[in-house]
Amino acid sequence: MHPLNWVIVVGWLAYAVSHGIRRSKNTKELEGYFLANRSLPWWAVGLSVMATQLSAVTMIGTTGQGATDGMRFVQFYFGLPLAMVLLGVTLVPFLHGANVFTAYEFLERRFDAKTRTFTALLFLLSRGMSASTIIAAPAVVFSAIFGWNLWLCVALIGVPAILYTMVGGVQAVTWVDVKQMFLIVGALLAVVITLLVQIPLSPGAALHAAGAAGRLRVFDFSFSVTNTYTFWSGLIGGTFLMLSYFGTDQSQVQRYLSAKSVEEARSSLLISAYWKIPLQALVLLVGVLVFVFYETHEQPILFNPSNDRVVRAAEPAQYAALEQRFRAATSLAARDSARAAAYELTSTVTHQAVKDVKKADVNYVIPRFVIGYLPIGLAGIFIAAVIAAAMNAISGELTSLSTATVIDFYRRWIRHDASDAHFLVVSRAATVFWGIFACIVAKFAVNLGSLIEVVNRFGSFFYGSILGVFLLAMIPRARANGAFVGLIAGMAAVGFVNFSQPDVSFLWHNVIGAVTVVVVGMALSLAQPQAVEAARAL
Amino acid sequence: MSNRFRVTLVRVLTIQVITLLLLGWLQHHFSTPP
Repeated sequence: MHPLNWVIVVGWLAYAVSHGIRRSKNTKELEGYFLANRSLPWWAVGLSVMATQLSAVTMIGTTGQGATDGMRFVQFYFGLPLAMVLLGVTLVPFLHGANVFTAYEFLERRFDAKTRTFTALLFLLSRGMSASTIIAAPAVVFSAIFGWNLWLCVALIGVPAILYTMVGGVQAVTWVDVKQMFLIVGALLAVVITLLVQIPLSPGAALHAAGAAGRLRVFDFSFSVTNTYTFWSGLIGGTFLMLSYFGTDQSQVQRYLSAKSVEEARSSLLISAYWKIPLQALVLLVGVLVFVFYETHEQPILFNPSNDRVVRAAEPAQYAALEQRFRAATSLAARDSARAAAYELTSTVTHQAVKDVKKADVNYVIPRFVIGYLPIGLAGIFIAAVIAAAMNAISGELTSLSTATVIDFYRRWIRHDASDAHFLVVSRAATVFWGIFACIVAKFAVNLGSLIEVVNRFGSFFYGSILGVFLLAMIPRARANGAFVGLIAGMAAVGFVNFSQPDVSFLWHNVIGAVTVVVVGMALSLAQPQAVEAARAL
Repeated sequence: MSNRFRVTLVRVLTIQVITLLLLGWLQHHFSTPP
Protein backbone atom coordinates (compact mmCIF):
# COMPACT_ATOMS: atom_id res chain seq x y z
CA MET A 1 0.00 0.00 0.00
CA HIS A 2 1.18 3.54 -0.80
CA PRO A 3 2.89 5.34 2.14
CA LEU A 4 0.29 8.16 1.94
CA ASN A 5 -2.39 5.64 2.93
CA TRP A 6 -0.40 4.74 6.04
CA VAL A 7 0.07 8.41 6.89
CA ILE A 8 -3.73 8.76 6.82
CA VAL A 9 -4.25 5.68 9.02
CA VAL A 10 -1.63 6.69 11.61
CA GLY A 11 -2.82 10.31 11.51
CA TRP A 12 -6.41 9.26 12.21
CA LEU A 13 -5.39 7.01 15.12
CA ALA A 14 -3.39 9.85 16.68
CA TYR A 15 -6.32 12.25 16.19
CA ALA A 16 -8.83 9.81 17.71
CA VAL A 17 -6.73 9.27 20.85
CA SER A 18 -5.94 12.97 21.35
CA HIS A 19 -9.55 14.03 20.64
CA GLY A 20 -10.92 11.49 23.12
CA ILE A 21 -8.59 12.66 25.87
CA ARG A 22 -9.16 16.36 25.09
CA ARG A 23 -12.98 16.11 25.21
CA SER A 24 -13.06 14.44 28.64
CA LYS A 25 -14.07 16.72 31.51
CA ASN A 26 -14.68 16.06 35.20
CA THR A 27 -13.27 12.56 34.94
CA LYS A 28 -12.05 12.80 38.54
CA GLU A 29 -15.55 11.89 39.72
CA LEU A 30 -17.06 8.47 39.22
CA GLU A 31 -20.25 9.89 37.68
CA GLY A 32 -18.21 11.99 35.26
CA TYR A 33 -16.03 9.04 34.25
CA PHE A 34 -18.82 6.48 33.79
CA LEU A 35 -21.85 8.65 32.92
CA ALA A 36 -20.41 12.01 31.76
CA ASN A 37 -22.40 13.57 34.65
CA ARG A 38 -25.50 12.83 32.53
CA SER A 39 -24.67 15.81 30.36
CA LEU A 40 -24.37 14.51 26.80
CA PRO A 41 -26.65 15.77 24.00
CA TRP A 42 -29.07 13.33 22.35
CA TRP A 43 -27.42 13.42 18.94
CA ALA A 44 -23.97 12.53 20.33
CA VAL A 45 -25.45 9.68 22.39
CA GLY A 46 -27.48 8.48 19.38
CA LEU A 47 -24.45 8.41 17.08
CA SER A 48 -22.45 6.65 19.81
CA VAL A 49 -25.19 4.00 20.17
CA MET A 50 -24.98 3.34 16.41
CA ALA A 51 -21.18 3.41 16.46
CA THR A 52 -20.92 0.85 19.27
CA GLN A 53 -23.06 -1.55 17.26
CA LEU A 54 -21.12 -1.00 14.02
CA SER A 55 -17.87 -2.93 14.29
CA ALA A 56 -15.12 -3.84 11.86
CA VAL A 57 -17.08 -7.04 11.18
CA THR A 58 -19.74 -4.79 9.60
CA MET A 59 -17.13 -3.05 7.45
CA ILE A 60 -15.46 -6.18 6.12
CA GLY A 61 -17.80 -9.11 6.93
CA THR A 62 -21.16 -7.54 6.08
CA THR A 63 -19.86 -5.83 2.95
CA GLY A 64 -18.39 -9.21 1.93
CA GLN A 65 -21.76 -10.79 2.61
CA GLY A 66 -23.32 -8.18 0.29
CA ALA A 67 -20.91 -9.25 -2.46
CA THR A 68 -21.46 -12.99 -2.07
CA ASP A 69 -25.03 -13.22 -0.79
CA GLY A 70 -26.71 -9.91 -1.66
CA MET A 71 -28.93 -7.59 0.35
CA ARG A 72 -31.10 -10.07 2.27
CA PHE A 73 -29.07 -9.62 5.48
CA VAL A 74 -30.79 -6.24 5.95
CA GLN A 75 -33.96 -8.13 7.04
CA PHE A 76 -32.11 -8.87 10.31
CA TYR A 77 -32.75 -5.24 11.34
CA PHE A 78 -36.45 -4.99 10.49
CA GLY A 79 -37.46 -5.25 14.16
CA LEU A 80 -35.10 -2.48 15.28
CA PRO A 81 -37.29 0.62 14.75
CA LEU A 82 -40.22 -0.89 16.69
CA ALA A 83 -37.85 -2.05 19.46
CA MET A 84 -36.46 1.50 19.80
CA VAL A 85 -39.94 3.01 20.18
CA LEU A 86 -40.95 0.35 22.73
CA LEU A 87 -37.75 0.90 24.74
CA GLY A 88 -38.35 4.65 24.69
CA VAL A 89 -41.58 4.23 26.65
CA THR A 90 -40.63 1.24 28.81
CA LEU A 91 -37.07 0.57 29.95
CA VAL A 92 -35.44 3.93 29.16
CA PRO A 93 -37.55 5.96 31.66
CA PHE A 94 -37.13 3.22 34.30
CA LEU A 95 -33.35 3.03 33.92
CA HIS A 96 -32.63 6.74 33.42
CA GLY A 97 -34.97 7.72 36.23
CA ALA A 98 -33.41 5.20 38.64
CA ASN A 99 -30.08 7.13 38.66
CA VAL A 100 -28.04 3.96 38.33
CA PHE A 101 -24.63 3.31 36.79
CA THR A 102 -25.53 -0.07 35.35
CA ALA A 103 -28.69 -1.79 34.16
CA TYR A 104 -27.99 -4.60 36.64
CA GLU A 105 -27.87 -2.18 39.59
CA PHE A 106 -31.50 -1.37 38.78
CA LEU A 107 -32.34 -5.08 39.14
CA GLU A 108 -31.11 -5.13 42.75
CA ARG A 109 -33.32 -2.15 43.61
CA ARG A 110 -36.29 -3.85 42.01
CA PHE A 111 -35.57 -7.48 42.96
CA ASP A 112 -32.50 -8.62 44.90
CA ALA A 113 -28.70 -8.86 44.92
CA LYS A 114 -28.52 -12.37 43.46
CA THR A 115 -30.47 -11.39 40.31
CA ARG A 116 -28.23 -8.34 39.88
CA THR A 117 -25.00 -10.26 40.39
CA PHE A 118 -26.01 -13.16 38.16
CA THR A 119 -27.05 -10.94 35.23
CA ALA A 120 -23.91 -8.78 35.62
CA LEU A 121 -21.77 -11.92 35.64
CA LEU A 122 -23.43 -13.19 32.45
CA PHE A 123 -22.74 -9.78 30.89
CA LEU A 124 -19.04 -9.87 31.86
CA LEU A 125 -18.62 -13.41 30.49
CA SER A 126 -20.27 -12.76 27.13
CA ARG A 127 -18.96 -9.23 26.51
CA GLY A 128 -15.45 -10.12 27.67
CA MET A 129 -15.29 -12.80 24.99
CA SER A 130 -17.08 -10.78 22.31
CA ALA A 131 -14.62 -7.90 22.84
CA SER A 132 -11.89 -10.28 21.73
CA THR A 133 -13.73 -11.34 18.56
CA ILE A 134 -14.24 -7.65 17.68
CA ILE A 135 -10.45 -7.22 17.65
CA ALA A 136 -9.66 -10.66 16.20
CA ALA A 137 -11.80 -10.41 13.04
CA PRO A 138 -10.06 -7.36 11.47
CA ALA A 139 -6.64 -8.27 12.96
CA VAL A 140 -6.65 -11.66 11.21
CA VAL A 141 -7.62 -10.03 7.90
CA PHE A 142 -4.96 -7.29 8.21
CA SER A 143 -2.36 -9.91 9.12
CA ALA A 144 -3.13 -11.98 6.03
CA ILE A 145 -3.45 -9.01 3.65
CA PHE A 146 -0.36 -7.05 4.77
CA GLY A 147 1.69 -10.06 5.93
CA TRP A 148 2.12 -8.55 9.40
CA ASN A 149 2.55 -10.29 12.72
CA LEU A 150 -0.85 -10.92 14.32
CA TRP A 151 0.25 -9.33 17.61
CA LEU A 152 1.03 -6.10 15.75
CA CYS A 153 -2.44 -6.07 14.12
CA VAL A 154 -4.14 -6.75 17.48
CA ALA A 155 -2.12 -3.94 19.09
CA LEU A 156 -2.88 -1.51 16.23
CA ILE A 157 -6.60 -1.81 17.00
CA GLY A 158 -6.54 -2.52 20.73
CA VAL A 159 -3.93 -0.10 22.15
CA PRO A 160 -5.41 3.25 20.94
CA ALA A 161 -8.91 2.18 22.05
CA ILE A 162 -7.66 1.09 25.50
CA LEU A 163 -5.71 4.35 25.84
CA TYR A 164 -8.53 6.86 25.26
CA THR A 165 -11.13 4.70 27.05
CA MET A 166 -8.92 4.40 30.13
CA VAL A 167 -8.13 8.12 30.32
CA GLY A 168 -11.44 9.68 29.31
CA GLY A 169 -14.10 7.09 30.19
CA VAL A 170 -17.53 7.35 28.59
CA GLN A 171 -17.01 10.95 27.39
CA ALA A 172 -13.94 10.01 25.36
CA VAL A 173 -15.79 6.98 23.99
CA THR A 174 -18.84 9.03 22.95
CA TRP A 175 -17.00 11.93 21.30
CA VAL A 176 -14.58 9.65 19.44
CA ASP A 177 -17.58 7.54 18.33
CA VAL A 178 -19.24 10.66 16.90
CA LYS A 179 -16.20 11.68 14.86
CA GLN A 180 -15.57 8.12 13.70
CA MET A 181 -19.18 7.65 12.57
CA PHE A 182 -18.66 10.56 10.14
CA LEU A 183 -15.42 8.93 8.92
CA ILE A 184 -17.12 5.54 8.45
CA VAL A 185 -20.20 6.83 6.60
CA GLY A 186 -18.01 9.17 4.52
CA ALA A 187 -15.70 6.28 3.58
CA LEU A 188 -18.65 4.06 2.58
CA LEU A 189 -20.19 6.81 0.41
CA ALA A 190 -16.80 7.55 -1.19
CA VAL A 191 -16.34 3.85 -2.03
CA VAL A 192 -19.84 3.68 -3.61
CA ILE A 193 -19.04 6.72 -5.80
CA THR A 194 -15.62 5.27 -6.75
CA LEU A 195 -17.20 1.94 -7.65
CA LEU A 196 -19.84 3.61 -9.84
CA VAL A 197 -17.01 5.43 -11.66
CA GLN A 198 -14.78 2.35 -12.00
CA ILE A 199 -17.43 -0.14 -13.13
CA PRO A 200 -17.54 0.06 -16.94
CA LEU A 201 -21.36 0.19 -16.93
CA SER A 202 -23.90 2.91 -16.25
CA PRO A 203 -25.20 2.91 -12.62
CA GLY A 204 -28.55 1.52 -13.86
CA ALA A 205 -26.86 -1.26 -15.86
CA ALA A 206 -24.61 -2.08 -12.87
CA LEU A 207 -27.66 -2.47 -10.62
CA HIS A 208 -29.43 -4.55 -13.29
CA ALA A 209 -26.35 -6.84 -13.41
CA ALA A 210 -26.51 -7.18 -9.60
CA GLY A 211 -30.27 -7.79 -9.73
CA ALA A 212 -29.93 -10.46 -12.41
CA ALA A 213 -27.47 -12.32 -10.13
CA GLY A 214 -29.97 -12.13 -7.24
CA ARG A 215 -27.79 -9.73 -5.23
CA LEU A 216 -30.59 -7.15 -4.84
CA ARG A 217 -33.07 -9.62 -3.41
CA VAL A 218 -34.03 -8.10 -0.07
CA PHE A 219 -37.26 -9.78 0.97
CA ASP A 220 -37.95 -13.40 1.84
CA PHE A 221 -41.51 -13.71 3.15
CA SER A 222 -41.31 -17.46 3.92
CA PHE A 223 -41.94 -18.29 7.55
CA SER A 224 -39.11 -20.49 8.77
CA VAL A 225 -37.71 -20.59 12.29
CA THR A 226 -34.52 -22.15 10.92
CA ASN A 227 -33.72 -19.24 8.59
CA THR A 228 -32.31 -16.10 10.22
CA TYR A 229 -32.66 -13.90 7.16
CA THR A 230 -36.40 -13.78 6.48
CA PHE A 231 -38.87 -10.94 6.88
CA TRP A 232 -40.66 -12.62 9.80
CA SER A 233 -37.49 -13.73 11.63
CA GLY A 234 -36.19 -10.16 11.34
CA LEU A 235 -39.44 -8.54 12.38
CA ILE A 236 -40.38 -10.81 15.31
CA GLY A 237 -37.09 -12.41 16.42
CA GLY A 238 -35.22 -9.21 15.54
CA THR A 239 -37.52 -7.08 17.71
CA PHE A 240 -36.77 -9.28 20.74
CA LEU A 241 -33.03 -9.33 19.97
CA MET A 242 -32.92 -5.53 19.64
CA LEU A 243 -35.00 -5.10 22.81
CA SER A 244 -32.48 -7.33 24.61
CA TYR A 245 -29.43 -5.66 23.14
CA PHE A 246 -30.45 -2.00 23.42
CA GLY A 247 -32.53 -2.43 26.57
CA THR A 248 -30.45 -4.67 28.82
CA ASP A 249 -26.86 -4.80 27.55
CA GLN A 250 -24.68 -2.42 29.55
CA SER A 251 -22.62 -1.53 26.46
CA GLN A 252 -25.75 0.14 25.03
CA VAL A 253 -27.57 1.14 28.24
CA GLN A 254 -24.54 3.10 29.48
CA ARG A 255 -24.68 5.24 26.32
CA TYR A 256 -28.17 6.57 26.98
CA LEU A 257 -27.73 6.75 30.76
CA SER A 258 -25.21 9.50 29.97
CA ALA A 259 -27.88 11.60 28.18
CA LYS A 260 -29.08 14.88 29.76
CA SER A 261 -32.65 13.71 30.37
CA VAL A 262 -35.11 10.88 29.70
CA GLU A 263 -36.36 12.80 26.66
CA GLU A 264 -32.82 13.11 25.28
CA ALA A 265 -32.19 9.41 25.98
CA ARG A 266 -35.35 8.51 24.02
CA SER A 267 -34.40 10.79 21.14
CA SER A 268 -30.94 9.23 20.99
CA LEU A 269 -32.45 5.79 20.37
CA LEU A 270 -34.69 7.18 17.63
CA ILE A 271 -31.58 8.00 15.56
CA SER A 272 -31.04 4.23 15.26
CA ALA A 273 -34.76 3.74 14.54
CA TYR A 274 -34.55 6.06 11.55
CA TRP A 275 -31.06 5.42 10.24
CA LYS A 276 -29.99 1.84 11.06
CA ILE A 277 -31.77 0.13 8.13
CA PRO A 278 -30.61 2.71 5.52
CA LEU A 279 -27.04 2.51 6.91
CA GLN A 280 -27.06 -1.28 6.77
CA ALA A 281 -28.44 -1.12 3.21
CA LEU A 282 -25.55 1.22 2.29
CA VAL A 283 -23.02 -1.23 3.79
CA LEU A 284 -24.53 -4.11 1.80
CA LEU A 285 -24.74 -1.97 -1.36
CA VAL A 286 -20.95 -1.48 -1.20
CA GLY A 287 -20.61 -5.27 -1.30
CA VAL A 288 -23.15 -5.62 -4.13
CA LEU A 289 -21.26 -3.07 -6.24
CA VAL A 290 -17.94 -4.80 -5.50
CA PHE A 291 -19.57 -7.99 -6.83
CA VAL A 292 -20.46 -6.16 -10.09
CA PHE A 293 -16.94 -4.70 -10.20
CA TYR A 294 -15.38 -8.17 -10.00
CA GLU A 295 -17.77 -9.44 -12.67
CA THR A 296 -16.21 -6.89 -15.02
CA HIS A 297 -12.59 -7.33 -13.83
CA GLU A 298 -10.28 -10.25 -13.13
CA GLN A 299 -10.92 -11.76 -9.70
CA PRO A 300 -9.07 -14.37 -7.61
CA ILE A 301 -10.67 -17.76 -7.04
CA LEU A 302 -9.79 -17.50 -3.32
CA PHE A 303 -9.85 -14.02 -1.82
CA ASN A 304 -8.02 -15.11 1.37
CA PRO A 305 -4.33 -14.63 0.41
CA SER A 306 -2.96 -16.93 3.11
CA ASN A 307 -5.22 -19.82 2.03
CA ASP A 308 -4.29 -19.06 -1.58
CA ARG A 309 -0.56 -19.43 -0.74
CA VAL A 310 -1.04 -22.60 1.34
CA VAL A 311 -3.22 -24.42 -1.22
CA ARG A 312 -1.05 -23.32 -4.15
CA ALA A 313 2.02 -24.78 -2.39
CA ALA A 314 0.32 -28.01 -1.23
CA GLU A 315 -1.71 -28.91 -4.33
CA PRO A 316 -0.21 -26.90 -7.24
CA ALA A 317 -1.59 -28.98 -10.13
CA GLN A 318 -5.10 -29.35 -8.75
CA TYR A 319 -5.28 -25.66 -7.78
CA ALA A 320 -4.01 -24.51 -11.20
CA ALA A 321 -6.67 -26.66 -12.90
CA LEU A 322 -9.37 -25.12 -10.70
CA GLU A 323 -8.10 -21.62 -11.48
CA GLN A 324 -8.18 -22.41 -15.19
CA ARG A 325 -11.74 -23.75 -14.85
CA PHE A 326 -12.68 -20.57 -12.93
CA ARG A 327 -11.23 -18.26 -15.63
CA ALA A 328 -12.83 -20.21 -18.46
CA ALA A 329 -16.29 -20.16 -16.83
CA THR A 330 -18.77 -18.11 -18.81
CA SER A 331 -21.59 -18.06 -16.27
CA LEU A 332 -21.90 -17.08 -12.63
CA ALA A 333 -23.08 -20.61 -11.74
CA ALA A 334 -19.97 -22.15 -13.35
CA ARG A 335 -17.69 -19.71 -11.50
CA ASP A 336 -19.48 -20.42 -8.20
CA SER A 337 -19.06 -24.14 -8.81
CA ALA A 338 -15.29 -23.76 -9.44
CA ARG A 339 -14.98 -21.57 -6.31
CA ALA A 340 -16.91 -24.16 -4.25
CA ALA A 341 -14.41 -26.81 -5.45
CA ALA A 342 -11.55 -24.49 -4.35
CA TYR A 343 -13.16 -24.23 -0.89
CA GLU A 344 -13.32 -28.05 -0.75
CA LEU A 345 -9.64 -28.31 -1.71
CA THR A 346 -8.70 -25.67 0.91
CA SER A 347 -10.69 -27.60 3.49
CA THR A 348 -8.75 -30.79 2.68
CA VAL A 349 -5.38 -29.02 2.84
CA THR A 350 -5.99 -26.91 5.96
CA HIS A 351 -8.28 -29.35 7.83
CA GLN A 352 -10.91 -26.66 8.33
CA ALA A 353 -14.64 -27.18 7.75
CA VAL A 354 -15.75 -26.06 4.26
CA LYS A 355 -18.26 -23.60 5.75
CA ASP A 356 -15.47 -21.99 7.81
CA VAL A 357 -13.24 -21.69 4.73
CA LYS A 358 -16.09 -20.01 2.84
CA LYS A 359 -17.01 -17.78 5.79
CA ALA A 360 -13.41 -16.61 6.18
CA ASP A 361 -12.99 -16.03 2.42
CA VAL A 362 -15.98 -13.65 2.41
CA ASN A 363 -14.08 -11.38 4.85
CA TYR A 364 -11.32 -10.81 2.28
CA VAL A 365 -13.51 -9.75 -0.67
CA ILE A 366 -13.63 -6.06 0.29
CA PRO A 367 -10.06 -5.70 1.69
CA ARG A 368 -8.63 -7.16 -1.55
CA PHE A 369 -10.66 -4.64 -3.55
CA VAL A 370 -9.61 -1.75 -1.28
CA ILE A 371 -5.90 -2.58 -1.53
CA GLY A 372 -5.95 -3.46 -5.23
CA TYR A 373 -8.27 -0.92 -6.81
CA LEU A 374 -9.11 2.07 -4.59
CA PRO A 375 -7.19 5.26 -5.44
CA ILE A 376 -4.31 6.40 -3.21
CA GLY A 377 -5.71 8.18 -0.18
CA LEU A 378 -9.15 6.61 -0.35
CA ALA A 379 -7.67 3.19 0.48
CA GLY A 380 -6.07 4.75 3.57
CA ILE A 381 -9.37 6.38 4.54
CA PHE A 382 -11.19 3.04 4.22
CA ILE A 383 -8.58 1.16 6.28
CA ALA A 384 -8.78 3.96 8.90
CA ALA A 385 -12.59 3.56 8.86
CA VAL A 386 -12.30 -0.21 9.47
CA ILE A 387 -9.98 0.39 12.45
CA ALA A 388 -12.29 3.21 13.63
CA ALA A 389 -15.28 0.85 13.53
CA ALA A 390 -13.34 -1.72 15.56
CA MET A 391 -12.27 0.94 18.08
CA ASN A 392 -15.85 2.24 18.42
CA ALA A 393 -17.13 -1.21 19.30
CA ILE A 394 -14.22 -2.20 21.56
CA SER A 395 -14.17 1.12 23.48
CA GLY A 396 -17.92 0.85 24.16
CA GLU A 397 -17.44 -2.67 25.45
CA LEU A 398 -14.38 -1.80 27.55
CA THR A 399 -16.05 1.09 29.34
CA SER A 400 -19.17 -1.00 30.05
CA LEU A 401 -17.10 -3.99 31.23
CA SER A 402 -15.14 -1.70 33.54
CA THR A 403 -18.37 -0.11 34.88
CA ALA A 404 -20.01 -3.48 35.60
CA THR A 405 -16.80 -4.83 37.20
CA VAL A 406 -16.43 -1.84 39.54
CA ILE A 407 -20.08 -0.99 40.30
CA ASP A 408 -21.69 -4.44 40.34
CA PHE A 409 -18.82 -6.38 41.90
CA TYR A 410 -16.03 -4.29 43.46
CA ARG A 411 -18.17 -1.54 45.02
CA ARG A 412 -21.08 -3.89 45.77
CA TRP A 413 -19.17 -6.77 47.37
CA ILE A 414 -15.62 -5.67 48.22
CA ARG A 415 -15.32 -1.91 49.06
CA HIS A 416 -18.55 0.03 49.66
CA ASP A 417 -17.16 3.17 51.23
CA ALA A 418 -14.03 4.12 49.33
CA SER A 419 -13.52 7.57 47.76
CA ASP A 420 -14.22 8.38 44.11
CA ALA A 421 -10.45 8.68 43.60
CA HIS A 422 -10.01 5.09 44.74
CA PHE A 423 -12.84 3.80 42.53
CA LEU A 424 -11.43 5.70 39.57
CA VAL A 425 -8.04 4.01 39.97
CA VAL A 426 -9.80 0.63 40.09
CA SER A 427 -12.00 1.57 37.09
CA ARG A 428 -9.00 2.51 34.96
CA ALA A 429 -7.22 -0.68 36.03
CA ALA A 430 -10.37 -2.67 35.09
CA THR A 431 -10.45 -1.00 31.65
CA VAL A 432 -6.81 -1.93 31.05
CA PHE A 433 -7.41 -5.46 32.38
CA TRP A 434 -10.36 -6.09 30.04
CA GLY A 435 -8.47 -4.49 27.15
CA ILE A 436 -5.44 -6.74 27.65
CA PHE A 437 -7.73 -9.75 28.17
CA ALA A 438 -9.51 -8.98 24.86
CA CYS A 439 -6.18 -8.57 23.03
CA ILE A 440 -4.74 -11.83 24.39
CA VAL A 441 -7.89 -13.85 23.62
CA ALA A 442 -8.02 -12.16 20.17
CA LYS A 443 -4.48 -13.33 19.43
CA PHE A 444 -5.45 -16.91 20.13
CA ALA A 445 -8.99 -16.61 18.70
CA VAL A 446 -7.74 -17.99 15.38
CA ASN A 447 -7.05 -21.30 17.08
CA LEU A 448 -10.05 -21.04 19.40
CA GLY A 449 -12.69 -20.93 16.65
CA SER A 450 -14.87 -23.60 18.20
CA LEU A 451 -14.48 -22.14 21.71
CA ILE A 452 -15.56 -18.70 20.50
CA GLU A 453 -18.57 -20.31 18.83
CA VAL A 454 -19.46 -22.07 22.08
CA VAL A 455 -19.24 -18.76 23.95
CA ASN A 456 -21.41 -17.00 21.36
CA ARG A 457 -23.93 -19.82 21.51
CA PHE A 458 -23.85 -19.62 25.31
CA GLY A 459 -24.57 -15.88 24.94
CA SER A 460 -27.73 -16.60 22.97
CA PHE A 461 -28.91 -18.79 25.90
CA PHE A 462 -29.40 -15.83 28.19
CA TYR A 463 -29.85 -12.73 26.06
CA GLY A 464 -33.63 -13.09 25.75
CA SER A 465 -33.86 -14.38 29.33
CA ILE A 466 -32.26 -11.19 30.71
CA LEU A 467 -34.78 -9.19 28.68
CA GLY A 468 -37.48 -11.28 30.39
CA VAL A 469 -36.16 -10.26 33.83
CA PHE A 470 -36.25 -6.56 32.86
CA LEU A 471 -39.81 -6.99 31.54
CA LEU A 472 -40.76 -8.55 34.88
CA ALA A 473 -39.17 -5.56 36.64
CA MET A 474 -41.81 -3.34 35.05
CA ILE A 475 -44.70 -5.51 36.25
CA PRO A 476 -45.64 -4.36 39.79
CA ARG A 477 -46.72 -7.83 41.01
CA ALA A 478 -43.48 -9.57 39.95
CA ARG A 479 -41.33 -10.74 42.89
CA ALA A 480 -37.59 -11.35 43.32
CA ASN A 481 -37.71 -15.15 43.58
CA GLY A 482 -40.03 -15.35 40.59
CA ALA A 483 -37.58 -13.26 38.55
CA PHE A 484 -34.55 -15.35 39.54
CA VAL A 485 -36.20 -18.74 38.99
CA GLY A 486 -37.75 -17.39 35.77
CA LEU A 487 -34.26 -16.38 34.56
CA ILE A 488 -32.93 -19.90 35.17
CA ALA A 489 -36.04 -21.42 33.53
CA GLY A 490 -35.64 -19.13 30.49
CA MET A 491 -32.00 -20.14 30.03
CA ALA A 492 -32.91 -23.82 30.46
CA ALA A 493 -35.71 -23.51 27.87
CA VAL A 494 -33.34 -21.92 25.34
CA GLY A 495 -30.68 -24.56 26.13
CA PHE A 496 -33.25 -27.33 25.59
CA VAL A 497 -34.40 -25.87 22.24
CA ASN A 498 -30.80 -25.31 21.20
CA PHE A 499 -29.81 -28.94 21.78
CA SER A 500 -33.06 -30.65 20.74
CA GLN A 501 -33.69 -28.41 17.69
CA PRO A 502 -30.24 -27.11 16.70
CA ASP A 503 -31.54 -25.75 13.38
CA VAL A 504 -33.75 -23.14 15.05
CA SER A 505 -32.23 -19.71 14.35
CA PHE A 506 -30.72 -17.89 17.35
CA LEU A 507 -33.08 -14.98 16.67
CA TRP A 508 -35.93 -17.13 18.02
CA HIS A 509 -33.93 -18.02 21.16
CA ASN A 510 -34.55 -14.47 22.38
CA VAL A 511 -38.30 -14.84 21.96
CA ILE A 512 -38.32 -18.23 23.74
CA GLY A 513 -36.11 -16.96 26.60
CA ALA A 514 -38.04 -13.73 27.22
CA VAL A 515 -41.49 -15.36 27.06
CA THR A 516 -40.44 -18.25 29.37
CA VAL A 517 -39.00 -15.87 31.99
CA VAL A 518 -42.13 -13.70 32.03
CA VAL A 519 -44.52 -16.69 32.20
CA VAL A 520 -42.56 -18.62 34.87
CA GLY A 521 -41.65 -15.47 36.80
CA MET A 522 -45.24 -14.21 36.93
CA ALA A 523 -46.66 -17.66 37.79
CA LEU A 524 -44.27 -17.95 40.76
CA SER A 525 -44.80 -14.35 41.83
CA LEU A 526 -48.57 -14.73 41.79
CA ALA A 527 -48.35 -18.06 43.63
CA GLN A 528 -45.97 -16.67 46.27
CA PRO A 529 -48.38 -14.44 48.28
CA GLN A 530 -50.94 -17.24 48.29
CA ALA A 531 -48.35 -19.64 49.67
CA VAL A 532 -47.43 -17.14 52.38
CA GLU A 533 -51.11 -16.61 53.24
CA ALA A 534 -51.69 -20.38 53.30
CA ALA A 535 -48.73 -20.82 55.66
CA ARG A 536 -50.06 -18.06 57.91
CA ALA A 537 -53.50 -19.71 57.98
CA LEU A 538 -51.90 -22.90 59.33
CA MET B 1 -50.96 4.85 25.15
CA SER B 2 -49.87 8.48 25.44
CA ASN B 3 -50.30 10.91 22.58
CA ARG B 4 -46.55 11.51 22.37
CA PHE B 5 -45.85 7.78 22.07
CA ARG B 6 -48.52 7.43 19.39
CA VAL B 7 -46.99 10.26 17.34
CA THR B 8 -43.47 8.79 17.65
CA LEU B 9 -44.68 5.31 16.76
CA VAL B 10 -46.54 6.55 13.67
CA ARG B 11 -43.53 8.62 12.58
CA VAL B 12 -41.05 5.74 12.98
CA LEU B 13 -43.34 3.22 11.30
CA THR B 14 -44.00 5.62 8.41
CA ILE B 15 -40.26 6.05 7.81
CA GLN B 16 -39.80 2.28 8.04
CA VAL B 17 -42.58 1.58 5.53
CA ILE B 18 -41.05 4.13 3.12
CA THR B 19 -37.61 2.49 3.56
CA LEU B 20 -39.04 -0.99 2.94
CA LEU B 21 -40.96 0.24 -0.13
CA LEU B 22 -37.72 1.70 -1.51
CA LEU B 23 -35.89 -1.59 -0.90
CA GLY B 24 -38.80 -3.46 -2.52
CA TRP B 25 -38.62 -1.14 -5.54
CA LEU B 26 -34.82 -1.73 -5.75
CA GLN B 27 -35.37 -5.50 -5.72
CA HIS B 28 -38.29 -5.47 -8.17
CA HIS B 29 -37.04 -2.86 -10.64
CA PHE B 30 -33.47 -4.14 -11.04
CA SER B 31 -34.19 -7.87 -10.91
CA THR B 32 -35.97 -7.72 -14.26
CA PRO B 33 -33.95 -7.12 -17.45
CA PRO B 34 -33.92 -3.47 -18.64
